[in-house]
Amino acid sequence: MSTPSTQYEDFADALEMIDDEDMRFEYIIDIGKKVKDVDFPDSLRTDENLMHGCMSQVWIIDEVRDNKHHFRGFSDAIIVKGLVAMMTASFSGLTGDELQEIGTDHVRRLNLGALTTQRQVGMMAMLETFKKFGLTGGGTVAGLRSAGI
Amino acid sequence: MNKVVSIESAIGGNSMAAFDVEQARADFPILSQMVYGKSLVFLDSGASAQKPQVVIDAVRECYETYYSNVHRGAHFLSQRCTDEYEKVRAEIAEFINAPSENNVVITSSVTESINLVAQTWGRKFLKAGDEIIVSEMEHHANIVPWQMLETEIGVKVRATPIDDNGEFLLDSFKELLGPKTKLVAITEVSNVLGTIVPVREVIRLAHEQGALVLLDGAQGIVHQGVDVQDLDCDFYGFTGHKLYGPSGVGVLYGKADVLNSMPPYQGGGDMIEKVSFHGTTFKQPPHRFEAGTPPIAQVIGLGAAIRYVKQLGMENIAAHEQGLLAYATEKMNAVDGVRLVGQAREKAAIISFLIDGAHPFDVAAVLDRQGVATRVGHHCAEPLMDRLGVVGTVRASFGLYNNAADVDRLVAAILKAKELLL
Repeated sequence: MSTPSTQYEDFADALEMIDDEDMRFEYIIDIGKKVKDVDFPDSLRTDENLMHGCMSQVWIIDEVRDNKHHFRGFSDAIIVKGLVAMMTASFSGLTGDELQEIGTDHVRRLNLGALTTQRQVGMMAMLETFKKFGLTGGGTVAGLRSAGI
Repeated sequence: MNKVVSIESAIGGNSMAAFDVEQARADFPILSQMVYGKSLVFLDSGASAQKPQVVIDAVRECYETYYSNVHRGAHFLSQRCTDEYEKVRAEIAEFINAPSENNVVITSSVTESINLVAQTWGRKFLKAGDEIIVSEMEHHANIVPWQMLETEIGVKVRATPIDDNGEFLLDSFKELLGPKTKLVAITEVSNVLGTIVPVREVIRLAHEQGALVLLDGAQGIVHQGVDVQDLDCDFYGFTGHKLYGPSGVGVLYGKADVLNSMPPYQGGGDMIEKVSFHGTTFKQPPHRFEAGTPPIAQVIGLGAAIRYVKQLGMENIAAHEQGLLAYATEKMNAVDGVRLVGQAREKAAIISFLIDGAHPFDVAAVLDRQGVATRVGHHCAEPLMDRLGVVGTVRASFGLYNNAADVDRLVAAILKAKELLL
Protein backbone atom coordinates (compact mmCIF):
# COMPACT_ATOMS: atom_id res chain seq x y z
CA MET A 1 0.00 0.00 0.00
CA SER A 2 1.35 3.38 -0.98
CA THR A 3 2.04 5.81 1.87
CA PRO A 4 0.25 9.12 1.72
CA SER A 5 1.94 12.33 2.77
CA THR A 6 3.33 13.07 6.22
CA GLN A 7 0.45 15.48 6.63
CA TYR A 8 -1.87 12.51 6.34
CA GLU A 9 -0.08 10.80 9.21
CA ASP A 10 -0.29 14.00 11.25
CA PHE A 11 -4.04 14.24 10.74
CA ALA A 12 -4.63 10.57 11.42
CA ASP A 13 -2.42 10.60 14.55
CA ALA A 14 -4.07 13.72 15.90
CA LEU A 15 -7.54 12.29 15.37
CA GLU A 16 -6.60 8.99 16.95
CA MET A 17 -5.30 10.78 20.03
CA ILE A 18 -8.63 12.53 20.54
CA ASP A 19 -10.84 9.94 22.16
CA ASP A 20 -14.00 12.03 22.30
CA GLU A 21 -16.15 12.13 19.17
CA ASP A 22 -17.43 15.63 19.84
CA MET A 23 -13.84 16.83 20.14
CA ARG A 24 -12.93 15.13 16.85
CA PHE A 25 -15.86 16.86 15.25
CA GLU A 26 -14.64 20.20 16.60
CA TYR A 27 -11.12 19.43 15.37
CA ILE A 28 -12.47 19.20 11.81
CA ILE A 29 -14.33 22.48 12.30
CA ASP A 30 -11.11 24.11 13.49
CA ILE A 31 -9.27 22.93 10.39
CA GLY A 32 -12.08 24.33 8.25
CA LYS A 33 -11.92 27.67 10.01
CA LYS A 34 -8.21 27.94 9.27
CA VAL A 35 -8.88 27.81 5.53
CA LYS A 36 -9.21 31.39 4.38
CA ASP A 37 -11.07 32.69 1.36
CA VAL A 38 -7.83 34.05 -0.09
CA ASP A 39 -6.42 30.52 -0.19
CA PHE A 40 -8.91 29.65 -2.86
CA PRO A 41 -10.02 32.85 -4.63
CA ASP A 42 -13.30 33.36 -6.46
CA SER A 43 -11.54 32.89 -9.78
CA LEU A 44 -11.09 29.21 -8.90
CA ARG A 45 -14.65 28.70 -7.67
CA THR A 46 -15.98 27.96 -11.12
CA ASP A 47 -18.33 25.37 -12.55
CA GLU A 48 -15.28 23.78 -14.11
CA ASN A 49 -13.85 22.96 -10.69
CA LEU A 50 -17.13 22.16 -8.98
CA MET A 51 -17.82 18.63 -7.82
CA HIS A 52 -21.41 17.70 -8.53
CA GLY A 53 -23.61 15.80 -6.14
CA CYS A 54 -22.36 17.40 -2.94
CA MET A 55 -24.84 18.85 -0.44
CA SER A 56 -22.63 21.90 -0.05
CA GLN A 57 -20.49 23.30 -2.84
CA VAL A 58 -17.04 21.75 -3.22
CA TRP A 59 -14.38 22.90 -5.65
CA ILE A 60 -11.21 20.89 -6.36
CA ILE A 61 -8.21 21.70 -8.52
CA ASP A 62 -5.25 19.52 -9.47
CA GLU A 63 -1.86 21.09 -10.16
CA VAL A 64 0.63 18.62 -11.61
CA ARG A 65 4.29 19.37 -10.95
CA ASP A 66 7.15 16.93 -11.63
CA ASN A 67 4.57 14.30 -12.44
CA LYS A 68 3.07 14.63 -8.96
CA HIS A 69 -0.47 15.72 -8.21
CA HIS A 70 -1.04 18.62 -5.85
CA PHE A 71 -4.66 19.15 -4.90
CA ARG A 72 -6.35 22.20 -3.51
CA GLY A 73 -9.98 22.63 -2.66
CA PHE A 74 -12.64 24.73 -1.02
CA SER A 75 -16.21 24.60 0.20
CA ASP A 76 -18.80 27.12 1.28
CA ALA A 77 -19.44 25.15 4.49
CA ILE A 78 -16.83 25.00 7.26
CA ILE A 79 -17.05 21.31 8.12
CA VAL A 80 -16.73 20.32 4.49
CA LYS A 81 -13.97 22.89 4.10
CA GLY A 82 -12.11 21.10 6.91
CA LEU A 83 -12.61 17.72 5.27
CA VAL A 84 -11.49 19.07 1.90
CA ALA A 85 -8.40 20.57 3.52
CA MET A 86 -7.55 17.25 5.17
CA MET A 87 -8.11 15.28 2.00
CA THR A 88 -6.20 17.58 -0.33
CA ALA A 89 -3.24 17.89 2.04
CA SER A 90 -3.19 14.17 2.78
CA PHE A 91 -3.19 12.95 -0.78
CA SER A 92 -1.09 15.59 -2.51
CA GLY A 93 2.46 15.01 -3.73
CA LEU A 94 1.75 11.54 -5.14
CA THR A 95 2.17 10.30 -8.67
CA GLY A 96 -0.77 9.01 -10.66
CA ASP A 97 0.28 5.44 -9.98
CA GLU A 98 0.73 6.10 -6.27
CA LEU A 99 -2.74 7.61 -6.11
CA GLN A 100 -4.21 4.37 -7.44
CA GLU A 101 -2.77 2.64 -4.38
CA ILE A 102 -4.76 4.81 -1.99
CA GLY A 103 -7.73 2.93 -0.65
CA THR A 104 -10.86 3.64 1.33
CA ASP A 105 -9.11 2.44 4.50
CA HIS A 106 -6.81 5.44 4.25
CA VAL A 107 -9.81 7.73 4.24
CA ARG A 108 -11.48 5.84 7.08
CA ARG A 109 -8.49 6.54 9.29
CA LEU A 110 -9.33 10.21 8.98
CA ASN A 111 -12.03 9.88 11.58
CA LEU A 112 -15.19 9.14 9.72
CA GLY A 113 -16.88 8.11 12.93
CA ALA A 114 -17.73 11.69 13.77
CA LEU A 115 -19.32 12.25 10.38
CA THR A 116 -22.71 11.58 8.90
CA THR A 117 -23.01 8.95 6.20
CA GLN A 118 -23.49 11.60 3.55
CA ARG A 119 -20.19 13.25 4.45
CA GLN A 120 -18.43 9.89 4.50
CA VAL A 121 -19.76 9.27 1.01
CA GLY A 122 -18.56 12.74 0.03
CA MET A 123 -15.03 11.98 1.25
CA MET A 124 -14.97 8.73 -0.69
CA ALA A 125 -16.17 10.60 -3.78
CA MET A 126 -13.33 13.05 -3.30
CA LEU A 127 -10.84 10.18 -3.14
CA GLU A 128 -12.31 8.77 -6.36
CA THR A 129 -11.85 12.16 -8.01
CA PHE A 130 -8.19 12.28 -6.93
CA LYS A 131 -7.64 8.81 -8.36
CA LYS A 132 -9.29 9.78 -11.63
CA PHE A 133 -6.96 12.76 -11.85
CA GLY A 134 -4.14 10.32 -11.28
CA LEU A 135 -5.35 8.13 -14.13
CA THR A 136 -5.80 10.96 -16.60
CA GLY A 137 -2.72 12.95 -15.67
CA GLY A 138 -4.65 15.98 -14.40
CA GLY A 139 -7.14 18.45 -15.82
CA THR A 140 -10.36 19.74 -14.28
CA VAL A 141 -13.34 18.21 -12.55
CA ALA A 142 -15.51 19.25 -15.51
CA GLY A 143 -12.99 17.60 -17.82
CA LEU A 144 -13.32 14.31 -15.95
CA ARG A 145 -17.08 14.64 -16.11
CA SER A 146 -17.25 15.36 -19.84
CA ALA A 147 -14.85 12.49 -20.49
CA GLY A 148 -17.32 10.29 -18.66
CA ILE A 149 -14.68 9.15 -16.20
CA MET B 1 -54.70 28.86 13.67
CA ASN B 2 -54.30 32.57 14.19
CA LYS B 3 -55.17 32.56 17.83
CA VAL B 4 -52.55 33.69 20.27
CA VAL B 5 -51.54 30.79 22.45
CA SER B 6 -49.71 31.37 25.66
CA ILE B 7 -46.20 30.10 26.16
CA GLU B 8 -47.52 28.42 29.31
CA SER B 9 -49.42 26.06 27.08
CA ALA B 10 -46.13 24.87 25.63
CA ILE B 11 -44.62 24.28 29.00
CA GLY B 12 -47.52 22.42 30.47
CA GLY B 13 -49.65 25.16 32.00
CA ASN B 14 -53.27 24.74 33.01
CA SER B 15 -54.56 25.67 29.57
CA MET B 16 -53.23 22.36 28.32
CA ALA B 17 -55.22 20.21 30.70
CA ALA B 18 -56.81 18.50 27.70
CA PHE B 19 -53.47 17.48 26.29
CA ASP B 20 -50.65 16.00 28.31
CA VAL B 21 -47.52 16.19 26.18
CA GLU B 22 -45.48 14.09 28.58
CA GLN B 23 -48.03 11.32 28.36
CA ALA B 24 -48.02 11.62 24.56
CA ARG B 25 -44.21 11.44 24.48
CA ALA B 26 -44.37 8.15 26.31
CA ASP B 27 -46.40 6.75 23.42
CA PHE B 28 -43.39 7.11 21.08
CA PRO B 29 -40.70 4.56 22.00
CA ILE B 30 -38.08 6.07 19.69
CA LEU B 31 -38.01 9.33 21.63
CA SER B 32 -36.45 7.75 24.71
CA GLN B 33 -33.19 6.91 22.99
CA MET B 34 -29.84 8.67 23.19
CA VAL B 35 -27.88 9.94 20.19
CA TYR B 36 -24.20 10.79 20.58
CA GLY B 37 -24.71 10.26 24.30
CA LYS B 38 -27.45 12.92 24.48
CA SER B 39 -31.18 12.48 24.72
CA LEU B 40 -32.83 12.82 21.34
CA VAL B 41 -34.65 16.00 20.42
CA PHE B 42 -36.58 15.20 17.28
CA LEU B 43 -37.49 18.33 15.31
CA ASP B 44 -37.80 16.79 11.86
CA SER B 45 -41.42 15.68 11.90
CA GLY B 46 -42.06 17.76 8.79
CA ALA B 47 -39.92 15.28 6.88
CA SER B 48 -41.45 12.26 8.57
CA ALA B 49 -43.07 11.93 11.96
CA GLN B 50 -42.26 9.27 14.54
CA LYS B 51 -44.71 6.46 15.24
CA PRO B 52 -46.67 5.83 18.41
CA GLN B 53 -46.71 2.33 19.87
CA VAL B 54 -50.32 1.80 18.75
CA VAL B 55 -49.25 2.21 15.09
CA ILE B 56 -46.31 -0.14 15.50
CA ASP B 57 -48.58 -2.65 17.25
CA ALA B 58 -51.28 -2.41 14.58
CA VAL B 59 -48.81 -3.14 11.79
CA ARG B 60 -47.33 -6.02 13.75
CA GLU B 61 -50.74 -7.42 14.62
CA CYS B 62 -51.70 -7.31 10.95
CA TYR B 63 -48.63 -9.29 9.93
CA GLU B 64 -48.90 -11.66 12.89
CA THR B 65 -52.58 -12.49 12.85
CA TYR B 66 -54.55 -11.64 9.72
CA TYR B 67 -52.24 -10.50 6.91
CA SER B 68 -53.28 -11.63 3.46
CA ASN B 69 -53.86 -10.00 0.11
CA VAL B 70 -57.01 -7.92 -0.10
CA HIS B 71 -59.96 -7.97 -2.52
CA ARG B 72 -58.86 -11.41 -3.70
CA GLY B 73 -58.84 -14.94 -2.25
CA ALA B 74 -61.92 -16.64 -0.92
CA HIS B 75 -60.38 -17.60 2.39
CA PHE B 76 -60.76 -16.47 5.95
CA LEU B 77 -57.62 -14.35 6.24
CA SER B 78 -58.21 -12.57 2.96
CA GLN B 79 -61.73 -11.68 4.03
CA ARG B 80 -60.60 -10.49 7.46
CA CYS B 81 -57.75 -8.44 5.99
CA THR B 82 -60.02 -6.93 3.35
CA ASP B 83 -62.53 -5.99 6.05
CA GLU B 84 -59.85 -4.30 8.18
CA TYR B 85 -58.37 -2.57 5.15
CA GLU B 86 -61.68 -1.20 3.91
CA LYS B 87 -62.62 -0.18 7.44
CA VAL B 88 -59.63 2.14 7.37
CA ARG B 89 -60.79 3.67 4.10
CA ALA B 90 -64.05 4.53 5.85
CA GLU B 91 -62.11 5.94 8.82
CA ILE B 92 -60.06 8.12 6.51
CA ALA B 93 -63.26 9.40 4.90
CA GLU B 94 -64.67 10.25 8.30
CA PHE B 95 -61.42 11.88 9.44
CA ILE B 96 -61.33 14.28 6.49
CA ASN B 97 -65.15 14.49 6.34
CA ALA B 98 -65.40 13.09 2.83
CA PRO B 99 -68.99 12.27 1.80
CA SER B 100 -68.13 8.60 1.31
CA GLU B 101 -65.25 6.14 1.37
CA ASN B 102 -65.59 6.08 -2.43
CA ASN B 103 -63.99 9.52 -2.45
CA VAL B 104 -60.83 8.09 -0.88
CA VAL B 105 -58.18 6.70 -3.21
CA ILE B 106 -55.30 4.87 -1.54
CA THR B 107 -51.93 5.83 -3.02
CA SER B 108 -48.34 5.38 -1.93
CA SER B 109 -47.73 9.04 -1.06
CA VAL B 110 -48.97 12.55 -1.61
CA THR B 111 -46.48 12.67 -4.47
CA GLU B 112 -48.35 9.84 -6.14
CA SER B 113 -51.68 11.48 -5.34
CA ILE B 114 -50.64 14.60 -7.24
CA ASN B 115 -49.11 12.65 -10.11
CA LEU B 116 -52.31 10.62 -10.36
CA VAL B 117 -54.36 13.79 -10.87
CA ALA B 118 -51.84 15.16 -13.37
CA GLN B 119 -51.70 11.99 -15.42
CA THR B 120 -55.43 11.23 -15.44
CA TRP B 121 -57.50 14.37 -14.99
CA GLY B 122 -54.73 16.54 -16.46
CA ARG B 123 -54.19 14.49 -19.60
CA LYS B 124 -57.92 14.11 -20.22
CA PHE B 125 -59.14 17.62 -19.56
CA LEU B 126 -56.24 19.99 -20.20
CA LYS B 127 -55.15 21.33 -23.57
CA ALA B 128 -52.42 23.62 -24.87
CA GLY B 129 -52.72 27.13 -23.47
CA ASP B 130 -54.61 26.11 -20.33
CA GLU B 131 -53.06 27.39 -17.13
CA ILE B 132 -52.27 25.77 -13.80
CA ILE B 133 -51.53 28.05 -10.87
CA VAL B 134 -49.17 26.93 -8.14
CA SER B 135 -47.45 29.10 -5.53
CA GLU B 136 -43.83 30.10 -5.16
CA MET B 137 -43.59 27.99 -2.03
CA GLU B 138 -44.61 24.62 -3.42
CA HIS B 139 -42.79 21.39 -2.76
CA HIS B 140 -41.29 19.95 -5.95
CA ALA B 141 -44.00 17.27 -5.82
CA ASN B 142 -46.55 19.98 -6.58
CA ILE B 143 -44.49 21.61 -9.34
CA VAL B 144 -42.81 18.92 -11.40
CA PRO B 145 -45.93 16.82 -12.23
CA TRP B 146 -47.48 19.96 -13.74
CA GLN B 147 -44.28 20.89 -15.56
CA MET B 148 -44.39 17.44 -17.13
CA LEU B 149 -47.79 18.41 -18.55
CA GLU B 150 -46.25 21.63 -19.85
CA THR B 151 -43.91 19.51 -21.92
CA GLU B 152 -46.47 16.91 -22.93
CA ILE B 153 -49.56 19.01 -23.54
CA GLY B 154 -48.45 22.62 -23.70
CA VAL B 155 -50.23 23.85 -20.58
CA LYS B 156 -48.66 26.74 -18.72
CA VAL B 157 -47.64 26.57 -15.06
CA ARG B 158 -47.80 29.94 -13.34
CA ALA B 159 -46.47 30.66 -9.84
CA THR B 160 -48.41 33.00 -7.62
CA PRO B 161 -46.01 35.07 -5.50
CA ILE B 162 -45.33 35.40 -1.78
CA ASP B 163 -43.85 38.39 0.01
CA ASP B 164 -40.55 38.50 1.88
CA ASN B 165 -42.24 37.26 5.05
CA GLY B 166 -43.54 34.22 3.22
CA GLU B 167 -47.07 35.58 3.18
CA PHE B 168 -49.36 34.29 0.44
CA LEU B 169 -50.46 37.30 -1.63
CA LEU B 170 -54.15 36.91 -2.30
CA ASP B 171 -54.35 40.02 -4.52
CA SER B 172 -51.57 38.73 -6.76
CA PHE B 173 -53.34 35.39 -6.93
CA LYS B 174 -56.54 37.15 -8.04
CA GLU B 175 -54.61 38.84 -10.83
CA LEU B 176 -53.24 35.52 -12.08
CA LEU B 177 -56.66 33.87 -12.08
CA GLY B 178 -58.44 34.08 -15.40
CA PRO B 179 -60.49 32.16 -17.93
CA LYS B 180 -57.45 30.14 -18.91
CA THR B 181 -56.98 28.89 -15.34
CA LYS B 182 -58.15 25.29 -15.20
CA LEU B 183 -56.49 24.15 -12.00
CA VAL B 184 -55.10 25.72 -8.86
CA ALA B 185 -52.67 23.30 -7.22
CA ILE B 186 -51.53 24.73 -3.97
CA THR B 187 -50.09 23.76 -0.62
CA GLU B 188 -52.20 24.17 2.47
CA VAL B 189 -49.14 24.80 4.64
CA SER B 190 -45.63 25.56 3.36
CA ASN B 191 -43.24 22.76 4.28
CA VAL B 192 -40.41 25.29 4.56
CA LEU B 193 -41.94 28.45 5.97
CA GLY B 194 -44.92 27.09 7.86
CA THR B 195 -47.14 29.67 6.14
CA ILE B 196 -50.80 28.73 6.32
CA VAL B 197 -52.30 29.56 2.94
CA PRO B 198 -55.80 31.09 2.99
CA VAL B 199 -57.10 28.11 1.05
CA ARG B 200 -60.78 28.77 1.72
CA GLU B 201 -60.54 32.07 -0.15
CA VAL B 202 -58.28 30.53 -2.82
CA ILE B 203 -60.87 27.83 -3.45
CA ARG B 204 -63.76 30.28 -3.61
CA LEU B 205 -61.94 32.53 -6.08
CA ALA B 206 -60.79 29.61 -8.22
CA HIS B 207 -64.28 28.16 -8.39
CA GLU B 208 -65.65 31.54 -9.48
CA GLN B 209 -63.38 31.16 -12.50
CA GLY B 210 -64.49 27.60 -13.08
CA ALA B 211 -61.10 26.18 -12.09
CA LEU B 212 -60.66 23.11 -9.91
CA VAL B 213 -58.50 23.17 -6.80
CA LEU B 214 -56.04 20.55 -5.60
CA LEU B 215 -54.67 21.02 -2.10
CA ASP B 216 -51.35 19.51 -1.09
CA GLY B 217 -52.22 18.66 2.48
CA ALA B 218 -48.96 16.90 3.38
CA GLN B 219 -48.19 19.45 6.10
CA GLY B 220 -51.65 20.87 6.62
CA ILE B 221 -53.57 17.85 7.86
CA VAL B 222 -50.89 17.09 10.43
CA HIS B 223 -51.11 20.43 12.16
CA GLN B 224 -54.75 21.36 11.80
CA GLY B 225 -56.79 18.46 10.41
CA VAL B 226 -59.08 19.03 7.44
CA ASP B 227 -62.73 19.11 6.43
CA VAL B 228 -62.73 18.64 2.68
CA GLN B 229 -66.44 19.35 2.27
CA ASP B 230 -66.29 22.50 4.31
CA LEU B 231 -63.28 23.71 2.28
CA ASP B 232 -64.98 22.57 -0.93
CA CYS B 233 -61.65 21.54 -2.51
CA ASP B 234 -61.84 19.24 -5.53
CA PHE B 235 -58.77 17.20 -4.66
CA TYR B 236 -56.88 16.80 -1.40
CA GLY B 237 -53.68 14.80 -1.05
CA PHE B 238 -51.91 13.74 2.09
CA THR B 239 -49.42 11.17 3.24
CA GLY B 240 -49.50 8.72 6.12
CA HIS B 241 -45.95 9.01 7.39
CA LYS B 242 -46.21 12.66 8.37
CA LEU B 243 -49.42 11.88 10.24
CA TYR B 244 -47.63 9.45 12.62
CA GLY B 245 -48.51 6.52 10.36
CA PRO B 246 -46.28 4.24 8.29
CA SER B 247 -44.41 5.34 5.20
CA GLY B 248 -45.57 4.04 1.84
CA VAL B 249 -49.21 5.03 2.09
CA GLY B 250 -50.90 8.20 0.90
CA VAL B 251 -54.40 9.36 0.14
CA LEU B 252 -56.08 11.21 -2.67
CA TYR B 253 -59.49 12.62 -1.90
CA GLY B 254 -61.55 13.65 -4.92
CA LYS B 255 -65.07 14.87 -5.42
CA ALA B 256 -67.23 12.05 -6.77
CA ASP B 257 -68.12 13.64 -10.10
CA VAL B 258 -64.48 14.54 -10.74
CA LEU B 259 -63.17 11.08 -9.85
CA ASN B 260 -65.90 9.47 -11.98
CA SER B 261 -64.81 11.54 -14.97
CA MET B 262 -61.18 10.43 -14.73
CA PRO B 263 -59.67 7.54 -16.66
CA PRO B 264 -57.54 4.94 -14.85
CA TYR B 265 -54.04 5.83 -13.71
CA GLN B 266 -52.12 2.57 -13.85
CA GLY B 267 -53.37 -0.69 -15.34
CA GLY B 268 -53.17 -3.99 -13.51
CA GLY B 269 -54.95 -6.24 -11.09
CA ASP B 270 -57.73 -5.08 -8.80
CA MET B 271 -58.76 -2.07 -10.89
CA ILE B 272 -60.69 -3.90 -13.58
CA GLU B 273 -64.20 -5.28 -13.95
CA LYS B 274 -63.38 -7.61 -16.79
CA VAL B 275 -60.31 -8.17 -18.91
CA SER B 276 -60.35 -9.72 -22.35
CA PHE B 277 -58.44 -9.24 -25.56
CA HIS B 278 -61.62 -7.79 -27.03
CA GLY B 279 -61.76 -5.02 -24.49
CA THR B 280 -61.29 -4.36 -20.80
CA THR B 281 -63.64 -2.54 -18.46
CA PHE B 282 -62.66 -0.78 -15.29
CA LYS B 283 -64.06 -0.58 -11.78
CA GLN B 284 -65.64 2.54 -10.39
CA PRO B 285 -63.56 4.91 -8.26
CA PRO B 286 -61.74 4.58 -5.98
CA HIS B 287 -60.68 1.06 -7.03
CA ARG B 288 -60.21 2.16 -10.64
CA PHE B 289 -57.12 4.05 -9.48
CA GLU B 290 -55.66 1.29 -7.33
CA ALA B 291 -53.90 -1.18 -9.60
CA GLY B 292 -51.93 -3.98 -8.01
CA THR B 293 -51.56 -5.03 -4.40
CA PRO B 294 -51.93 -1.95 -2.23
CA PRO B 295 -49.82 -1.07 0.83
CA ILE B 296 -51.93 -3.28 3.09
CA ALA B 297 -50.15 -3.18 6.43
CA GLN B 298 -49.37 0.49 5.92
CA VAL B 299 -53.04 1.28 5.50
CA ILE B 300 -53.77 -0.66 8.69
CA GLY B 301 -51.09 1.41 10.42
CA LEU B 302 -52.54 4.63 9.06
CA GLY B 303 -55.90 3.67 10.50
CA ALA B 304 -54.27 3.29 13.93
CA ALA B 305 -52.54 6.66 13.51
CA ILE B 306 -55.81 8.38 12.67
CA ARG B 307 -57.53 6.83 15.69
CA TYR B 308 -54.57 7.96 17.81
CA VAL B 309 -54.65 11.62 16.77
CA LYS B 310 -58.45 11.68 16.96
CA GLN B 311 -58.25 10.39 20.50
CA LEU B 312 -55.82 13.14 21.41
CA GLY B 313 -57.96 15.63 19.53
CA MET B 314 -56.72 17.53 16.49
CA GLU B 315 -57.69 20.81 18.13
CA ASN B 316 -55.64 19.94 21.21
CA ILE B 317 -52.68 19.00 19.05
CA ALA B 318 -53.02 22.22 17.07
CA ALA B 319 -53.22 24.33 20.23
CA HIS B 320 -50.21 22.58 21.75
CA GLU B 321 -48.16 23.08 18.59
CA GLN B 322 -49.17 26.74 18.36
CA GLY B 323 -47.93 27.17 21.91
CA LEU B 324 -44.61 25.60 20.97
CA LEU B 325 -44.39 27.77 17.86
CA ALA B 326 -44.95 30.93 19.88
CA TYR B 327 -42.43 29.87 22.51
CA ALA B 328 -39.78 28.83 19.99
CA THR B 329 -40.27 31.96 17.91
CA GLU B 330 -39.80 34.17 20.94
CA LYS B 331 -36.73 32.27 22.18
CA MET B 332 -35.08 32.11 18.76
CA ASN B 333 -35.77 35.77 17.99
CA ALA B 334 -33.92 36.61 21.19
CA VAL B 335 -30.71 34.97 19.91
CA ASP B 336 -28.47 37.50 18.25
CA GLY B 337 -27.69 36.63 14.64
CA VAL B 338 -30.51 34.14 14.20
CA ARG B 339 -32.82 34.98 11.32
CA LEU B 340 -36.18 33.27 11.04
CA VAL B 341 -37.06 32.62 7.42
CA GLY B 342 -40.80 32.91 6.99
CA GLN B 343 -42.76 35.07 9.38
CA ALA B 344 -46.26 34.92 8.02
CA ARG B 345 -49.04 35.97 10.39
CA GLU B 346 -50.58 32.51 10.35
CA LYS B 347 -48.11 29.67 10.63
CA ALA B 348 -48.03 26.02 11.51
CA ALA B 349 -45.28 24.80 13.85
CA ILE B 350 -42.48 24.88 11.31
CA ILE B 351 -39.52 27.23 11.74
CA SER B 352 -36.88 27.73 9.09
CA PHE B 353 -33.87 29.72 10.18
CA LEU B 354 -30.32 30.78 9.44
CA ILE B 355 -27.43 31.94 11.58
CA ASP B 356 -25.71 34.97 10.08
CA GLY B 357 -22.25 34.05 8.86
CA ALA B 358 -22.74 30.28 9.13
CA HIS B 359 -23.60 27.81 6.42
CA PRO B 360 -26.90 26.02 7.17
CA PHE B 361 -25.25 22.62 6.64
CA ASP B 362 -22.71 23.44 9.34
CA VAL B 363 -25.42 24.63 11.69
CA ALA B 364 -27.47 21.46 11.22
CA ALA B 365 -24.36 19.33 11.73
CA VAL B 366 -23.59 21.02 15.05
CA LEU B 367 -27.23 20.71 16.11
CA ASP B 368 -27.09 17.02 15.24
CA ARG B 369 -24.03 16.51 17.44
CA GLN B 370 -26.05 18.10 20.26
CA GLY B 371 -28.74 15.47 19.74
CA VAL B 372 -31.09 17.86 17.96
CA ALA B 373 -32.44 16.46 14.69
CA THR B 374 -33.44 19.07 12.13
CA ARG B 375 -33.55 19.14 8.37
CA VAL B 376 -31.25 21.26 6.24
CA GLY B 377 -31.17 22.11 2.56
CA HIS B 378 -33.66 23.30 0.01
CA HIS B 379 -36.43 21.08 1.41
CA CYS B 380 -37.51 20.05 -2.10
CA ALA B 381 -38.49 23.66 -2.74
CA GLU B 382 -35.70 25.08 -4.89
CA PRO B 383 -37.86 27.79 -6.50
CA LEU B 384 -38.66 29.06 -3.00
CA MET B 385 -34.95 29.13 -2.10
CA ASP B 386 -34.32 31.19 -5.25
CA ARG B 387 -37.17 33.53 -4.31
CA LEU B 388 -35.71 34.01 -0.84
CA GLY B 389 -32.14 34.29 -2.13
CA VAL B 390 -30.76 31.55 0.13
CA VAL B 391 -28.95 28.28 -0.62
CA GLY B 392 -30.99 26.51 1.99
CA THR B 393 -32.29 26.78 5.52
CA VAL B 394 -32.24 24.79 8.72
CA ARG B 395 -35.77 23.69 9.54
CA ALA B 396 -37.13 22.77 12.93
CA SER B 397 -40.54 21.17 12.49
CA PHE B 398 -42.58 20.27 15.53
CA GLY B 399 -44.85 17.36 16.21
CA LEU B 400 -47.39 16.61 18.90
CA TYR B 401 -44.68 15.02 21.06
CA ASN B 402 -42.37 18.03 21.25
CA ASN B 403 -42.25 20.05 24.44
CA ALA B 404 -40.77 23.26 25.77
CA ALA B 405 -37.63 21.41 26.85
CA ASP B 406 -37.06 20.50 23.19
CA VAL B 407 -37.21 24.19 22.30
CA ASP B 408 -34.72 24.98 25.06
CA ARG B 409 -32.37 22.28 23.77
CA LEU B 410 -32.71 23.69 20.25
CA VAL B 411 -31.81 27.16 21.43
CA ALA B 412 -28.85 25.85 23.45
CA ALA B 413 -27.65 23.96 20.37
CA ILE B 414 -27.95 27.12 18.27
CA LEU B 415 -25.77 28.94 20.80
CA LYS B 416 -23.26 26.09 20.59
CA ALA B 417 -23.29 26.37 16.79
CA LYS B 418 -22.56 30.08 17.03
CA GLU B 419 -19.71 29.38 19.43
CA LEU B 420 -18.13 26.73 17.21
CA LEU B 421 -18.75 28.16 13.77
CA LEU B 422 -18.40 31.93 14.09
